[in-house]
Amino acid sequence: MVNDSADFGVDTLLDVRNVKIHYPIHGGVFLRRIGEVKAVDGVSFTVKPGETLGLVGESGCGKTTMGKGVIRLVDVTDGEILFRRKNGDVVDLVGLERQAMRPVRAEIQMIFQDPYSSLNPRWSVGDIIAEPLSVHSPDMKRAERDEQVAWLLEKVGLTGEQADRYPHEFSGGQRQRVGIARALATRPRMVIADEPVSALDVSIQAQVVNLMQDLQEEFGLTYLFIAHDLSIVEHISHRIAVMYLGNIVEIGPARTLYEEPVHPYTRALLSAVPLPDPSLERPERMVLKGEVPSPLAKPSGCPFRTRCPLAEPSCAEEMPVLQAVAMDHEVACPIVLRKG
Amino acid sequence: MSRDDRQKLLELRDLRTYFDVEGRTAKAVDGVSFDIYTNEVFGLVGESGSGKSVTSLSIMRLIPNPPGRIESGEIRFRGQNLLDLSFAEMRKIRGNDISMIFQEPMTALNPVFTIGYQLREGIRYHSKCSKAEAEDRATEMLDLVGIPDPRRRLKDYPHQFSGGMRQRAMIAMALSMEPGLLIADEPTTALDVTIQAQILELMLKVREKTGDASILLITHDLAVVAETCDRVAVMYGGKIQEISEVKALFKTPLHPYTQGLLSSLPRPDKQKKTRLDTIPGIVPSIMSMPPGCKFAARCPIAEPRCERDEPELREITPGRFCRCHLVDGKGGGRAW
Ligand SMILES: Nc1ncnc2c1ncn2[C@@H]1O[C@H](COP(=O)(O)OP(=O)(O)O)[C@@H](O)[C@H]1O
Ligand SMILES: Nc1ncnc2c1ncn2[C@@H]1O[C@H](COP(=O)(O)OP(=O)(O)O)[C@@H](O)[C@H]1O
Ligand SMILES: [Mg+2]
Ligand SMILES: [Mg+2]
Repeated sequence: MVNDSADFGVDTLLDVRNVKIHYPIHGGVFLRRIGEVKAVDGVSFTVKPGETLGLVGESGCGKTTMGKGVIRLVDVTDGEILFRRKNGDVVDLVGLERQAMRPVRAEIQMIFQDPYSSLNPRWSVGDIIAEPLSVHSPDMKRAERDEQVAWLLEKVGLTGEQADRYPHEFSGGQRQRVGIARALATRPRMVIADEPVSALDVSIQAQVVNLMQDLQEEFGLTYLFIAHDLSIVEHISHRIAVMYLGNIVEIGPARTLYEEPVHPYTRALLSAVPLPDPSLERPERMVLKGEVPSPLAKPSGCPFRTRCPLAEPSCAEEMPVLQAVAMDHEVACPIVLRKG
Repeated sequence: MSRDDRQKLLELRDLRTYFDVEGRTAKAVDGVSFDIYTNEVFGLVGESGSGKSVTSLSIMRLIPNPPGRIESGEIRFRGQNLLDLSFAEMRKIRGNDISMIFQEPMTALNPVFTIGYQLREGIRYHSKCSKAEAEDRATEMLDLVGIPDPRRRLKDYPHQFSGGMRQRAMIAMALSMEPGLLIADEPTTALDVTIQAQILELMLKVREKTGDASILLITHDLAVVAETCDRVAVMYGGKIQEISEVKALFKTPLHPYTQGLLSSLPRPDKQKKTRLDTIPGIVPSIMSMPPGCKFAARCPIAEPRCERDEPELREITPGRFCRCHLVDGKGGGRAW
């Protein structure tokens, strides 16, 4: 594919094309580069405006790296990340200089898993939320900024008076609300949410998930929702991409993926999810052998073959590519596709 | 077998474990009572800070003092009150009768000794046998928990194992003593679902092969309870709010808190809800617990007396206990 905004559909907000993000590994006495972790290794997907794309997979498969790559918190080794700006321009985020990236940053924000370490403990909550405003709208008057902060706090279910308080005075769920308010300060089009509810208690998770859905509706937000809890991802996402060792192995509508998973990894992942209903007669669990191999010793061909119940010798030869199995549903496994 | 024929292995009676924090008393465990029968998997479920770990550490008599102390209560194991035992006697119980696995296995494994050494020591402490016999038994245990090439892996140090493998090694270690009771405190919380499924299955399988220990499984995850436990206690604010057979709990949760928890879970296996039900508010701080029902401030059906008077844990129907003024076993106390 070429970097040509002509084939960038009008109904696309983000188009990630064959992105690779490799971390160099340094070692030895002179800390020379001795290898690389192929954390993201040829990932492609698109996200439509107003949509939530869920990104799931076991830890270490590259979800966070992919999310950080989109806002360039890590260097992208190869590929393109096309993004449609508010003004209609399509930009390739990979090629952008730091200066040119800054205004785009305002349109793509990130919220993090850990509501404890992602907020500066010495800053008041008001200052934390106002910080992106001072970066992106430096001319904004103090009074206007305070007004914005109060408005944002109320939008996330807190009160304007809480702007003077410090993070330690808030519970985990409230801190995550502060993180969301900060992300919304610049009125982004897209929010990358990296495990936003994983650290929260069950009774608080539902509150934050509902809040994110309300805000999506009100502001027309687009989410890349990264999580390892498949039940929550299924609930909040329109489509889901399943990652394994740096690659997407299946992508499709959330309901389809949940009800009719095709890739053996997706099937295994879903069958491992416990359900809160002891009266369910569940089909025999598909227990995967072993663990995810280290990305430093990524198997040749299909990276999942070492744990795959369907693996054949041919799987060691070639890296499978995503192929359509239905409208909007793609799977990277020639074996299931052949067997039907 | 009816309930009363079964033998009680562990009986907790009105256990209170307090911490002195900045000149005040934090009642982390505040009058907890439950029984664990022989041969059962008993779940203790609750949100963070509800007092689950302090309960389990109290049973093991591992509460750090200061700042903590077991204020009162009884912990009867096979009829004997563990709180009456000397430290030496208690150490013997921990080596032989009650073993524990933790969320983070590195806290229990000693980083300077090989896995094999630690397994062998445990085995030899428990059953006087030769070094070679202990080595064989250790190999067998590692094999049983699904670690490939077990004889060679015995020579590894804990840091050479992945998180999932360490958890397996810890299960091997805990069950090699053939304990009567295995306490597992969030054994899979740090692991991926695929590994969690392996570990839970393994724990139940290995238990069967090593003398049918009862298990006290501590978790915040109701789905894990649904899939592994026979009976369950729901904890909130340092107190048990409900005790029930697992099937009954999920079918008709009695306590408004349990009802709220269950209905706030996404259920991908069911018709999709556009919005999740939520429990309003936040978990109260242990330093400022309300005098009445600990859940009253978040309960949609709370009455004035709920804020004022702490309800008793009452047996509502045979085998089902609930701490709520409004629950009567005839549909009263429906909140969600
Ligand atoms: N800064 C880094 N340097 C080297 N390796 C890294 C770095 N960050 C992440 N990795 C490695 O990249 C892989 C993917 O990590 P990550 O994106 O955090 O996965 P996930 O979010 O799915 O758990 C892992 O093997 C991880 O150890
Ligand atoms: N060593 C300690 N010192 C002070 N407070 C403690 C200590 N250990 C636990 N607590 C308090 O006891 C309460 C219950 O904790 P815990 O049993 O660990 O909860 P959980 O249900 O998450 O396992 C918490 O409020 C915690 O802060
Ligand atoms: Mg991550
Ligand atoms: Mg705990």
